[in-house]
Parts: sequence; structure tokens; C-alpha cells
Amino acid sequence: MTTIVEARDLSKRYGNFVALDHVNFTLQPGRIVGLIGRNGAGKTTVLKTILGLSSYQGSVQVLGMEPERDRNALMSDVCFIADSAVLPRWLTVAHAIDYVAGVHPRFDRKRADEVLATTSIRRGSRIGELSKGMITQLHLALILAIDARLLVLDEPTLGLDLIYRRQFYDTLLNDYFDKERTILLTTHQVEEVEHLLTDVLFIDRGRMLLDAATEDLAARFQQLTVAPDKIDAARALGPFYVRELFGRTIMLYENQAAAGLAALGDVSTPGIADLFVAKVQGSAS
Amino acid sequence: MKALSIQIQREFWEHRGLWMAPLLIAVVMLLAAAIFGHVNVSFGNAASHYDGPNPPPVAQFMALGWAVPFFLAAAIQGSAYLIDCLYAERRDRSILFWRSMPVTDARTVLVKLLVGLVLVPLGNFALAAATGLLGCAIMALRNHDVVVNGLSVVALWNLADWLQTQVIMLYGLLAAMLWYAPFAAYLMLVSVWARRSPYAWAFLPPLLLVVFEYMVFGTHYVSHIVNGGFGEFLHLAYGFQSADAAGDSGRYTLQLLTPAHLLASQRLCWGLAASAGMVVLAIRLRRYRDDS
Repeated sequence: MTTIVEARDLSKRYGNFVALDHVNFTLQPGRIVGLIGRNGAGKTTVLKTILGLSSYQGSVQVLGMEPERDRNALMSDVCFIADSAVLPRWLTVAHAIDYVAGVHPRFDRKRADEVLATTSIRRGSRIGELSKGMITQLHLALILAIDARLLVLDEPTLGLDLIYRRQFYDTLLNDYFDKERTILLTTHQVEEVEHLLTDVLFIDRGRMLLDAATEDLAARFQQLTVAPDKIDAARALGPFYVRELFGRTIMLYENQAAAGLAALGDVSTPGIADLFVAKVQGSAS
Repeated sequence: MKALSIQIQREFWEHRGLWMAPLLIAVVMLLAAAIFGHVNVSFGNAASHYDGPNPPPVAQFMALGWAVPFFLAAAIQGSAYLIDCLYAERRDRSILFWRSMPVTDARTVLVKLLVGLVLVPLGNFALAAATGLLGCAIMALRNHDVVVNGLSVVALWNLADWLQTQVIMLYGLLAAMLWYAPFAAYLMLVSVWARRSPYAWAFLPPLLLVVFEYMVFGTHYVSHIVNGGFGEFLHLAYGFQSADAAGDSGRYTLQLLTPAHLLASQRLCWGLAASAGMVVLAIRLRRYRDDS
């Protein structure tokens, strides 16, 4: 299997601001990768370089192509939803389908119709008349009907209610994802996508803090809820993050044998959200 | 081909005025012909000029007069469209959607230029021609009793005159597309470049340059460039000054057209070169601009 995305020494500056600082990562086929970072951490910049929307230093290969130079060829194989609000308000639903069917060689109109049939969106409506949730459903229906190899989603569910968010990810998993396809997504609501990610990339202030498969996280990171009398011993093992919560002390370790930790308290695997906070705050201190 | 057609349609979906306004003009013109179309034709002393074998070219007057509102609308709408077309997609952020499709920036910009500079004027011309015939028929019904020099005005109608005038106007339209291409390219460039108020950016800088040049140097070079040179264009594209143009018959013939004269014009060549440069710049700006 070929690598979908390979970034080496990727850097991007906006004037004096360093948006990306020598970032390296790879995306393999059949993965769902969460790019997780705070506002301004460089998430969108990473996505824009992958999509050929932004210049950069270093090297990026997407499906074997250079995104900035081969953007047009790339867009036949790559789809993206930048934000749920970017479909033009004046366009009707029927015309949106006609347009994508007209310009995209990999678009399957029947498939879009099937997905739309599961929603309450009417063909004759203008996009400006649809709710934000419906616009996202429409955009997703258009994207799902395109046989693309890489799907890039930048905060796709921002501003949607819980029901729409849940539906969005369910549709994505059930109707789109397979072993050939790769999804790269950014979101603030880490808890909601945690269970569907196969890989995580943590980014903070332009640098990659973590690039790991979720299945490896359990072996690599340990969360210890420390027994009150063992705090000094636990500290001595070098946690990269310490948190006090309701009088309890929680410490996170990397590559620390669970057996050794078990003597000091309750050992568990940290969630992705906890791990992210720990990594960002740990690297800041 | 399918992609091109849908891309063109997309422009008319967004800018509905492009097809609604000409239709509105057509309806108003036809209604006006039906309601006010009873004319009292009097050629006065000129009537003698049209005596005998050369009846007045009523069909030419009709064709020209009928087309004027459509041409004015095409010029205004084409310009408004070109100013807006690359700005609107950034204003509503839909550019990210359009750019997620496998359509090159060059193609997008060229399709928009094709719509604003070529298709809108041609569409207006076609509609003027089609409704003009209908208008003439209505006028003929309304004026079947009007007599000039002993002839019914209806008898003065001459299809050959009418068709010839359509050819003369179509030629003028195509020539004007070449002549005004740099203006179209300039408006697109402003449209893709302006962060806000593209109208102000389109009109104020040239105006200020003209005023500045006149106040500082007392010269008029800039105004010569930006005034459009409609007089010069007419003079180059049509041989009005030659004696045969509106020959003895008192009607314009195809001898009026002087394309070689126009194509040899330096101003036209410079204009086309500038257009190409500005279009390339517009494409690059859309391609590499990173403010979304």
C-alpha cells in the first residue's frame, strides 16, 4: 500500500509568526486520523498545505503528488469540507448536485440521491434556507458520492447540535470509510471522535507533539491515580504530567511498566482528550 | 464539454440578473411596441431623399433602435458581473467549496471572462434580434394604415435590410469585445484582488490618476487610456467616413465594416496584450492568494 500523505520538514511562516515548525508525519491508507490542536496551533495550516491551498517549505507528497504544483490532479482524488458554512447560499440543492456531477469525474449522482433521501432536505431549497445541520448533511452527501482516496475534514461539525454531529460521524463511518480510504479530520470535540480514530496527531504551536496509532496508546501511555501515601515515589518515576483533582493526584507516564506503577495506585489508559491536555501542558512547562 | 456547460450555467444561477434583466427589457419593449407603437412617420424634407427606387430603410432604423437598450444593458451587466464574480466567492467563503472541486483556477477565471465579455453581450444581441422581429410585426399591425410618400410603411419593411443590419451590429459587437477586453480583464483583476468594495477599487484609482496627471503634468494620457475610446473604436471598426458606407441608397451596407483597419490599430494590439497580462495575473492571484 502506498503512503497517502508524507510530510517531511514541513514549515510555514506568516510574516514573523511560525505556523508550522519542521513538522513530520505520514498518513497510511485505511486510517482515520485526528489532527488535534488548540486554536492557532497550526491544524488548518497543515490541511491547507496538504490541499495545495497554501505555500510551504519542506516536502509534502499527497498520493505521490506535490499538492501545490499538482493541485488540480489532486482534487480528483482528494475531497475536503473546510467548514459547514462554505456552500454558497444562493445555490439550490438540485443545482449543487448538478454542478458537482458536471465537474467531478468521480461523482456518482445515484449515491448522492441515496444519502439525501435519508434527510429531510428538499431539492428545490436554496442553501440559504437550510439549517446549518442540513447544509452539513448536504455537503456530506456530495462528498460521500465522490470516490476519493483522501477526505479532509476541518471542524466539520462545528456549531451543529449533538444529533447532527452523531449522524455525521455515523454516516461517515458506515457509508464511506473502507480500507482504501483515508480520513483526516480536525475537531475541538475530541471526546466525540475518540472512539473512531485509528491515529492521532497532536499539534501545538506549529510542532507535532504526538504521532501515534490509537491502538498503541495503551502500551505507550499510563495514567496513574496515585495512592495518597505514594506521591513521592510516583513523582520519582518521572510523570510528564501531574494533575490534582478532588484531592486525588493523577499522573501520566510514557513507556513506564504498568506492573511497577500498580504498586503506587490505580493504573489505567488515558483518554485521548486527557492525553492531549497532558501533552500540551506538559510541553509548555 | 459537459463541465464547461455546467460551469457557465453556474454563473447564471448565481447572477440571475444576467438573464432576467434582458428578458425584462424584452417584455417592456414588446409591451411598449404594442401600446405606444402607433407612429406618425414624417421624414419631412428628407423624404425626397428616399424617393423612387430608394425607399427609407425602415427595417434598419427598427433593428438599430430596438437593439440599443439591450446593448446598454449588456455593457452595464457585463461590467457589474465582472466586478463581482471573483469577489463574491471570497465574500461568502464559498471559494473553498469551488476550489475543492477539480477545476483549475485558470479555467474558472476564463469561464467567467467568457460569460461577462462574450456570452452576456451575445445573449443580449440574440434576444434583441429575436424580439426585434416580433416587435416589428407588432408595429406593422399597429401601423398598417400609415402612409409615407404614397407607400404604406409596412411595404417599406425589407428583410434584407434588417438582416444586413444584424450582421453590421454583430460585427460591431465582436469588435467591441476585442476593443473592450482590457476593461473586462481589469475589472476581473480588481474583483479577485479587492478585499472589500471592489466597485470603489474599480473606479476610484483610474479617476484619481486622471485628476492627478492633469493637475501635476497638465496632460491627458491616462484619461486617453481609461476613457474607453468609443469614438476611436467606431472610427476604426466602421468606415463611416468613406463615401460608399451609406451609399446612394441611403442605407448602410456591409461595405461599412473595416475589420482590417481595426485589427491594424496599435491601441487594439496593446489592449489585447494588456488583457492577456491582467487575466494571467488574475489567475495567479486566485491560485496563490491565501486569505481564506
